[in-house]
Amino acid sequence: MSVSAGAGTARSRRRHVLDLDDFSPQEIDEILETAASMKEVLGRAIKQVPTLRGKTIVNMFFEESTRTRISFELAGKALSANVVNFTARGSSVEKGESLVDTVRTLQALGADILVMRHSESGAPYLAAQYFHGSVINAGDGRHAHPTQALLDLFTVRQRLGRIEGLKVVIVGDILHSRVARSNLWGFTRMGASVTLCAPHTLIGPESFWKATWPHLTITSNLDECITGADVIMTLRLQRERMEAGLLPSLREYTRFFGITAERVARAAPHCLVMHPGPMNEGVEIMPDVAVSAQSVIEEQVANGVAVRMALLYRLSGE
Amino acid sequence: MRYLIKNGSIIDPARRVATVGNVLVEDGKVVQVIDLADLTLTPEPLDEHTEVINARGAVIAPGFLDLHAHVREPGEEHKETIETATKAAAAGGFTTLCVMPDTRPSIDCAAVARQVREIARRRGVVRIEPIGAITLGRAGQTLTEMAELVEAGCVGFSDEGNAVADAAVMRNALAYAAMLDVPIMAHCEETRLTRGWGMHDGAVSIRLGLPGYPAAAEEAMVARDIALAEMTGAHLHICHVSTAGSVALIRAAKARGVRVTAEVTPHHLTLTDQWVLGNLALVRAEGKAIQRSGRDRAEDDDGLDLPSRLKPTLLPPYHTSTRVRPPLRTEHDVEALIEGLRDGTIDAIASDHEPQSAVDKECEYRLAAPGISSLETALGLALTLVHRGKLDLVDLVAKFTEGPATVLGRAPATLRPGSPADIVIFDPDSPWTVDPAKFFSKGRNTPLAGQRLKGQVMLTMCRGQIVFRRGNFGVATGALQQASRLEGILGSEHEE
Amino acid sequence: MGEKQILDADDIRRAITRIAHEIAERNAGVRDVALVGIRRRGAPLAMRIAAALEEIERVRVPVGILDITLYRDDLGIRGPAPVVHATDIPFDINGRTVVLVDDVLYTGRTIRAALDALTDFGRPARIQLAVLIDRGHRELPIRADFVGKNVPTSRDERIATRLHEVDGGADGVFIVRASETATE
Repeated sequence: MSVSAGAGTARSRRRHVLDLDDFSPQEIDEILETAASMKEVLGRAIKQVPTLRGKTIVNMFFEESTRTRISFELAGKALSANVVNFTARGSSVEKGESLVDTVRTLQALGADILVMRHSESGAPYLAAQYFHGSVINAGDGRHAHPTQALLDLFTVRQRLGRIEGLKVVIVGDILHSRVARSNLWGFTRMGASVTLCAPHTLIGPESFWKATWPHLTITSNLDECITGADVIMTLRLQRERMEAGLLPSLREYTRFFGITAERVARAAPHCLVMHPGPMNEGVEIMPDVAVSAQSVIEEQVANGVAVRMALLYRLSGE
Repeated sequence: MRYLIKNGSIIDPARRVATVGNVLVEDGKVVQVIDLADLTLTPEPLDEHTEVINARGAVIAPGFLDLHAHVREPGEEHKETIETATKAAAAGGFTTLCVMPDTRPSIDCAAVARQVREIARRRGVVRIEPIGAITLGRAGQTLTEMAELVEAGCVGFSDEGNAVADAAVMRNALAYAAMLDVPIMAHCEETRLTRGWGMHDGAVSIRLGLPGYPAAAEEAMVARDIALAEMTGAHLHICHVSTAGSVALIRAAKARGVRVTAEVTPHHLTLTDQWVLGNLALVRAEGKAIQRSGRDRAEDDDGLDLPSRLKPTLLPPYHTSTRVRPPLRTEHDVEALIEGLRDGTIDAIASDHEPQSAVDKECEYRLAAPGISSLETALGLALTLVHRGKLDLVDLVAKFTEGPATVLGRAPATLRPGSPADIVIFDPDSPWTVDPAKFFSKGRNTPLAGQRLKGQVMLTMCRGQIVFRRGNFGVATGALQQASRLEGILGSEHEE
Repeated sequence: MGEKQILDADDIRRAITRIAHEIAERNAGVRDVALVGIRRRGAPLAMRIAAALEEIERVRVPVGILDITLYRDDLGIRGPAPVVHATDIPFDINGRTVVLVDDVLYTGRTIRAALDALTDFGRPARIQLAVLIDRGHRELPIRADFVGKNVPTSRDERIATRLHEVDGGADGVFIVRASETATE
């Protein structure tokens, strides 16, 4: 059993991308810089470089996600890798074949990189134990979505020029959000101050969060915490939360936690409005805000390809 | 056959005895216990029919009684059988297993109870006593024929694995069991608070994004069942207590005279939810996929420097071996459980041995079957409390012997002459590495693989028969046989 | 240390001036010429050649910067994947004469990668190659059109180029014995 040099050492090779909790600020910096170069490649007439020729990437999606899957597919193809999509609805157990068996099969078929989306938190960690190549977590349950967080960091850095010292407010269904968790790692590690804003039923006890992220601010008062914010990130509100009784009504949620133009006006003038998508316009974000000059929602999507290229590239060194 | 177990530290909690001496066993019974202090005038009955077992440096104690084991037979023999479970029990120092009724079919009628005892009689190496289901099919609706189940040998009732959700059913079960003078052994879980649970609801579950099993889900049910026990005057036994809040509830109930007893597992006493977080470095690792094996660190150095606490350094995050019901809790809960054990709030340590097959564990965390195969690590794990100075060795032995006997309302096992020769000999300081591949149990599911523990069972005797022996433990040379009397008198200083 | 200087700052300046003259001469002026420097040390050299050409021809030739990391054929041999730096070619290369500029020509693999990369940007009329040092040991059929200095070396030697834009300090080119780290 070998133990790595771990995060932080400049030249140690990373094998998997499972969450941002083991990324050093320096490694994030390097990835964002590489992503900027990848963005230049995507701006060329020929949007393709030969870097990963002969490598096979399997997009293993146990949960449907059009935008993330396409983003990874484009990223792999822009680097000239063979990209294979494998989509299985529901869990592997429902399908009859276990996740471990699926991973072993893909191993035998010669996959070099597994990009994995799964509804169960921690599933990529299981895959990583059995797969001899690299595993990239493309979202696991409520746990992590590291590539989304990296593209969010990239978008903010491109727009505002820095991350350190920014005030970032993440609003909405924090409890069930893998995007919130990975962004917490990413933004806090890069020196931003992060505020989580949610109704108590969608976040849980404050002490549980502060045990891992001691410098967080947690509040349920959006109007107050949005003041002076540099970045507002709002999260998708799943309809199931209503059915589970976690909220009295959508109407009340929108009234107290929806991102409206009036609320954005309280933030810093350069404040960015972000959303990992897909949006429920009129619920967590108003349509006029989503298309306003401050919204970088489309840019996030575009940047996703460049950031994923940077990660695929980084994992392919020996 | 006679056995003379010599020169061990005899711990007999029932008699409040802890001394160095010899134990003579004949025809399945303890016939003589000789304290070295008054050995002088007692002739040692040595002849060719007597085997001398040299127990120097080891503890001789009554065989352990486990209130809570899942043996999977009948119905899930691929996970465990009564034969393999009792062999594992023997290796763990247990001479009696109370087995939970969540078999297939469940032990909810006398015929199944009798079948279990019959299989145990033929293939078990230690004693098996069935626990009957509270309700038919453990479905929480209709009471089982409890009187007939008691007649068939059931020592208590439990729907273990399922809580009895309906308070009225639970009240009736308690009242009916009180008539039969047997305990209701309650699995306390408010399932509406644990829907979709992954692990303990706390900082680690938030970090890992696993749905939580709150402490309150256990405590709400403990409180309800205590109220119902108080109302009916029945004997309520709380299974696998895991939270500080439950300990406080039980302590208060005992103080006002409610007939409540409680057990705790070795893993809830020693491990925390940090074990689910595991060691991130193991998945960052360069190179080949992780190979987990106890043999990775199986060097048997005697100069063992045990860490003050066991640490989950050998497990990657989300390792399903850590998934157990109720879940591993926090440091705060662990401390409260230890305190509960010390002050008598918790009567017994019970294994909650839950063997699972590899496929039940080799999957996504939440989909993994909960449970730890614990019979063979129970003593070693519990002894970490003694080595850390948290618990006295005699008290620990009592929690494996006298405590559980009290829960079942029987006289505690003892080494008093005339008692059945159910005896365990263990070396509390012997270091070893947990290697599930060497388990007698079919269940290899343990988070302790590769961990170093201190203290292991050397020999177990049930009904006067040796049912487990580690290597050649205690085999005496001819010279020792001859010289044994003199040595005994001299305190056997020159033996080795 | 085993380090021997083969060019000093003045030598480098003279070599660049000479290369600039040769480029102007070979292409009968610099009307359709563009320079593309290969990261890292080809980039400042391209800037310097452009400045020399401006002196000589009174024309400012466009300069681009090419990062060939994504075109290398040794990804997975050289250890952890390095950071990919920006490529910046802010002009149309179609129909132009593109002069690739690098500090040291060795195996030819870097130039092979640069040729692949350039092709992705369009179809130049011709591509020429200017290097400060040619140290031999080609592994591909590639030769330089403009050479500052030919330096015979053995394979266990390295050539270290230091340029003040990248490395700070004085310019210079050195031969370093094996086990010393150096740029190619």
